[in-house]
Amino acid sequence: MPRGVAIAAASELPPGRYPHMTVLDLYEEAVSLLLREWHLSPRMIDGLLCAPAGMARGEETDIFTHERLAYALGLRPTFAETVNAGGATYALMVQRACWAIKEGVASAVLCLGAGKFPSVSRGGADAMARMVSHPHFEYIYGAYIVPLYALIARRFMHERGTTPQEMAAVAVAARQWAMLHPHALMRGAGPLSVDDVLASRPIAEPFHLLDCSVPCEGGGALVVARDDVAMEINPRPAHILGWGEFHSHGYVTWAPELATAGARWSIEQAYARAGLGPSDIRVAELYDAFTICPIILLEEAGLARRGEGGRLFAQGHCSPGGPLPVNTYGGLLSYSHTGDASGLSMIVEGALQVMGRAGARQVPEAEVVLVHTYGGMMAEHSTLILGRRR
Amino acid sequence: MTGAPVPNQEGVAGPFWEAARQGRLVAQRCQGCGYIFLPPRRWCPRCWASQLEWIACSGRGRVYSFTVVHQAPSHFFQRRAPYVLAIVELEEGPRLMANIVGVEPARVHIDMAVQVTFERRGEVPVPQFTPIDKGDEDAEAR
Repeated sequence: MPRGVAIAAASELPPGRYPHMTVLDLYEEAVSLLLREWHLSPRMIDGLLCAPAGMARGEETDIFTHERLAYALGLRPTFAETVNAGGATYALMVQRACWAIKEGVASAVLCLGAGKFPSVSRGGADAMARMVSHPHFEYIYGAYIVPLYALIARRFMHERGTTPQEMAAVAVAARQWAMLHPHALMRGAGPLSVDDVLASRPIAEPFHLLDCSVPCEGGGALVVARDDVAMEINPRPAHILGWGEFHSHGYVTWAPELATAGARWSIEQAYARAGLGPSDIRVAELYDAFTICPIILLEEAGLARRGEGGRLFAQGHCSPGGPLPVNTYGGLLSYSHTGDASGLSMIVEGALQVMGRAGARQVPEAEVVLVHTYGGMMAEHSTLILGRRR
Repeated sequence: MTGAPVPNQEGVAGPFWEAARQGRLVAQRCQGCGYIFLPPRRWCPRCWASQLEWIACSGRGRVYSFTVVHQAPSHFFQRRAPYVLAIVELEEGPRLMANIVGVEPARVHIDMAVQVTFERRGEVPVPQFTPIDKGDEDAEAR
């Protein structure tokens, strides 16, 4: 009988600014939180996956993060590495943990992440531009992250008819959810309207300031475990029903499918492994560096018909109380974007929804949740499908 | 970064920049499968053949996607803001990133017909694109 794997535990630091901490300090802070919130002991854990500390800051990237944390935790794992795929890093960690567990290489894998978003105003935009654009054929034209995504957005709008108002509605829905999350960074800023988003200053058209995610710092942790071990930690774990992975392009200019960035190839694998389809999904947690992204992903996941993803947001379908809740923690747009750790936030939320631990924002029907993350300039994709029942 | 960014002209892309110095736009063509591509590579990304040749491009293409950038990544580009960052699809097939110059940013649109022009960055002429007049008339007619 094939063994099942589940997310047994999930914790995340409140996103914010931690000026007195290094990224490695933030990793340890995330572990401390996990140990306070869940009953764990070192004997349970035989796998450890981390992201390279300091990655997005482009300074002193530590590719031995897993060794330092194994030492700090007193672990001698049989399965460990430092892995990176940008925002897709953590969903890929969960997949790799699944493989290791199904192969019997490990029984419970600690997946950790922490990050600090670089300061955009103090040279950070240029440093990140050098990291994500082709040095001789893109960077020299003033490309950086926001306009590179704007090129994807404009092409998608051209092909599918999405409007700036519909994109603004994504930010409005994210803020509505953030108002229900005690740790969402923009909770205190109050509700947003479509007009607020459209009136915020233009960054790279079609994106205004409020079409962009909110940079901050944070971190978190997951325990991915074989079903029997997971049940010892948590009687209601989030079973991992399916997963998919796809790497589409190296640079935006030469993306074979610019408008959709190849997301569906990852999502289709996840549906196939789970034996499920779009009609089974009750909640979607979709990586939202910019407002266009959840619209693209809704359509690519078959959760909206072609050209109708934006309309679902505009009509409130994805807001609290709507038939298809999306980004129930406020998303990177209003919960905030923790740099290297951003891809962890939507997995933590998806798992908490399935476990029934999402507090005021709990969606009662969250039986099956689709989580989609991507990294780089929407270049690499990783999808998870989590469920209450195996 | 405050100075003008300049591409590296060494290595596999050398002939591309050498042609640019002569005011010509060139691309690589695979002698195995015929695929035409940019930026320059050591092998064909479709069939991995390493027998490649350089072909002259017409310099004409269409805007595949674009954005008007208001907040730039550096002082050099902030002085040019708002500027148009675009992906241009050449008649021969390959795509290039460039700025669309010599036109009001608000008039740029997807499928606009453009042609190459070269902007000097120090010693290096960098390909940029500017609307072809006929393309503009087509746009007005639509």
